[in-house]
Amino acid sequence: MAGEARYLDPAIVARLGTIDLKARTIVEGFLTGLHRSPYKGFSVEFAEYRQYLPGDDLATLDWKVYARSDRHFVKKYEEETNLTCHLLLDVSGSMGYGSGPITKLQYGSYLSGALAYLMNRQRDAFGLIAFDDRIASLVPASARTGHLRAVLLALERLKIGAGTNVAKPLRDLAAAVRKRGLVVLVSDLLDDPQSVLDGLKHFRYRGTDVVVFHVIDPYELTFPFERSARFRDIETAQEVMAVPSTVRQDYVDRMQARIAHYKRELGLAGIDYCLLDTSQPLELGLMAYLMTRRRVL
Amino acid sequence: MFGVSFLSPLFLIGALAAAVPILLHLFHRKTDVVIDFPAVSLLTKAPVQHHRRRQLRELILLVLRVAALVLLAVSFARPYVAGAAAPASAPVTVVALDTSMSLSAPGQFAQAQRAASQAVESAPASDAVALITFSDVATVVVPPTSDRRTVLSAVSAAAVGAGGTRYRTALASASEVIGARDARVVIITDLQQTGWEANDEGGLPDGVDLRAVAVAGPVSNLAVTSAAHRDRIVVATIQNYGSDQAQTPVTLMVEGEPVAQATATIAPFAAMDVELRGGLGDAGTAQVVIDDQAGYQPDNVRFLALDPPPAVPIAVVVADPTGAVGGIYLERALAVADEGREFAVTVADGRVLSKWTAAEMARQAAVMILGTRTLDRSGRERLKGYLAGGGQVLLTLGPDVDPGTLSDVIGTDLGVAPAVIRATDATLVATDSRHPIFRPFLLPSGALGDVQVDQHRRLKDQDGRTVLARLTGGDAALTEQTVGQGRLLVFTSDLDNQWSRFPLHPSFVPFAVETARYLTQGRQQRQDFTLPDVPAGVPAAPGIIRSGAGAAARPIVVNVDVRESRPAATSVDEFTKDITRTHRSDDRQVADVARDAEDRQRWWQVGLLVMLVALAGEALVGRRAA
Repeated sequence: MAGEARYLDPAIVARLGTIDLKARTIVEGFLTGLHRSPYKGFSVEFAEYRQYLPGDDLATLDWKVYARSDRHFVKKYEEETNLTCHLLLDVSGSMGYGSGPITKLQYGSYLSGALAYLMNRQRDAFGLIAFDDRIASLVPASARTGHLRAVLLALERLKIGAGTNVAKPLRDLAAAVRKRGLVVLVSDLLDDPQSVLDGLKHFRYRGTDVVVFHVIDPYELTFPFERSARFRDIETAQEVMAVPSTVRQDYVDRMQARIAHYKRELGLAGIDYCLLDTSQPLELGLMAYLMTRRRVL
Repeated sequence: MFGVSFLSPLFLIGALAAAVPILLHLFHRKTDVVIDFPAVSLLTKAPVQHHRRRQLRELILLVLRVAALVLLAVSFARPYVAGAAAPASAPVTVVALDTSMSLSAPGQFAQAQRAASQAVESAPASDAVALITFSDVATVVVPPTSDRRTVLSAVSAAAVGAGGTRYRTALASASEVIGARDARVVIITDLQQTGWEANDEGGLPDGVDLRAVAVAGPVSNLAVTSAAHRDRIVVATIQNYGSDQAQTPVTLMVEGEPVAQATATIAPFAAMDVELRGGLGDAGTAQVVIDDQAGYQPDNVRFLALDPPPAVPIAVVVADPTGAVGGIYLERALAVADEGREFAVTVADGRVLSKWTAAEMARQAAVMILGTRTLDRSGRERLKGYLAGGGQVLLTLGPDVDPGTLSDVIGTDLGVAPAVIRATDATLVATDSRHPIFRPFLLPSGALGDVQVDQHRRLKDQDGRTVLARLTGGDAALTEQTVGQGRLLVFTSDLDNQWSRFPLHPSFVPFAVETARYLTQGRQQRQDFTLPDVPAGVPAAPGIIRSGAGAAARPIVVNVDVRESRPAATSVDEFTKDITRTHRSDDRQVADVARDAEDRQRWWQVGLLVMLVALAGEALVGRRAA
């Protein structure tokens, strides 16, 4: 995937200062690249403009823009443009794992920060909910000026929690989110898959769109260990003695089966699914978000 | 209460090496890598089982490795199980019970058994007790044990025999049992004077307490001390060991039936010969029986064989048997032995000898060569093969012997000078007077000194040749050497009254007979034996035994040693004084006993074998683990 070379390596992002800077670097870089990218035909709008679509009111066409760019853009009212987005970030113990320079939680935090920055640029209302088996941190959705800072500050202060119970906070949030919007779940989904799916489907029942970022460490995908070792579960402390060469294939098959299961079941439920391993550029997440947003709007 | 001891316990230090695999195992276990991992739930359960199997396998490997190292160390330490039921350090009371013939008077042995039982019961409570019975030989009936009931049972089961008394044998056996322990010895005996055999060795270690319990012997004893068969008459000698005149019937029995009887009245401490006639054949066995109720019982009967022993075949090789000097002197001399029954002499010249088969030649117990001039090639080869194959040959170097062909006859060069030495007044001198040939000449009356030898041949000195007699001039007169597997005696003059007057001398007959006996020893068949010297396979008890099978079967008679018939006893003080005290080399004795025990048991071999099995198992399990 040579094209990804132009994106920022998560490891480099990790060395940047505050999450504010990280988010800005990621998003600005992403957008710069996007203008040159073949994806711009997607008519991504990052302000109050949207490309004209058949059926749009012609009165909303911005002729000045058309005159400058020779393109048809419709001018939307701010009220119509804004989207309420809830960033759900898993801070359970398993998110603290990282075989490389960054953990899954750091990766999820950067992704969430970048999404928040992007949403802020688009003037969408956004909020942040961090959870493990309960809600650990909550920043209500808002589009106010300065709200981005509050979200980024909350991301900055996140700490690793206990065990994962995605289903329960999702049910709670589904009940709390009244307004139709977008839910972005950033999690390693190391929970009972059915519970996770049930929780996410609650949003769908309420008409809320959902995009799932399945953050996973490369080691979780390939299980590249060599020596026999006792593998201790980060959340439950359960220990399993295993000879990697013996169990590797079985483990990888199980992991791939789980990913395939999520992909299939979430697809059937109308939920976008994006698998991100922590070695991949964060921009891939932003791209997935924008595609979902486009579909939502 | 068997205990394991070690001959070389220092090697057990090597067992510490077993700590190495244990420490490695523990270290390896403690350094198990623990990896925090989020998706443990996706790891299959199979590795857990695999791990348990691996743990079990590692445990088995550890056990096998430790076992191998420990077994190696233990094997080198030479383990053995102390056979004695009592601890080797426990004090011991050794009860030595005399079971010789001199305890066979009525009621005597029962008295000895009671004394022995009392000694067992009165032994200190802390002592182990051992029981030894002895006569000619000593037997450890019960090794040191704390189970006195066993010892008492063994005392009750002991039986008196017909053997002689050998105190030193008993004491030596007791010393072995005692080893390095504190001990006391209680010896139950009749204190018979003849029990101190001069040739025996044995004593008690220093510090070992001895108590002699005297069992009173009979006041008198009658014994048949000899019985000889002569011309259908049996002459029996009856000895009275008592201080009073004794009278006893003397019965000659053949095949269990009395055939003759006489009455003997014997003066105190005297013996008399009794002639018993009638009913005797030329073969079979007989026994002379007296009636002595009060004395020792086994010496009341004497067995004798009536069969003459088979004569020993001897060939005399002469130059011409029909001549005036055809070995007649030697033949006549040998015929004297046992009235002609001891040797079967065949005189043959070279022509006759040449026709003999190898079997006929081998049948000869000895060959005496007086002349070789008529021996042809076949005869010479026959003699050479006989000697090389283990034959016994006497060669004379008289005028009928051709020195030039001797090497063909004997198979080796004897170094005979061809010239005949003529010496005047040369006489024979035995170089080794203890040699069996010269046994009859130990007394001055039988001296060889006046045997004159006029001519002889000189033998050059050779290695491996022993000079048994010389002539006064210094030349060898009689030599002995081995040729092949056989034995060769060389008389450097002649035995046919040509070069010397020796065949006419009174010493010639004993010389010829003893020489023939010396050459044929081992081929002679003895029929009379005296305890304890009996041939292999014959029980050490007085009686008549059939030896051999079929036509070769012949009777063997075994009689008691009449020295044991003398009841004269010594005192306890004298007895105790005669006991030799030996320096107690405790460590050495203990080491010897331990070494013997270890050598018998050889547990180290088992240990090494098991170690090899453990190593093989370790290799097998280890390979599967890999």
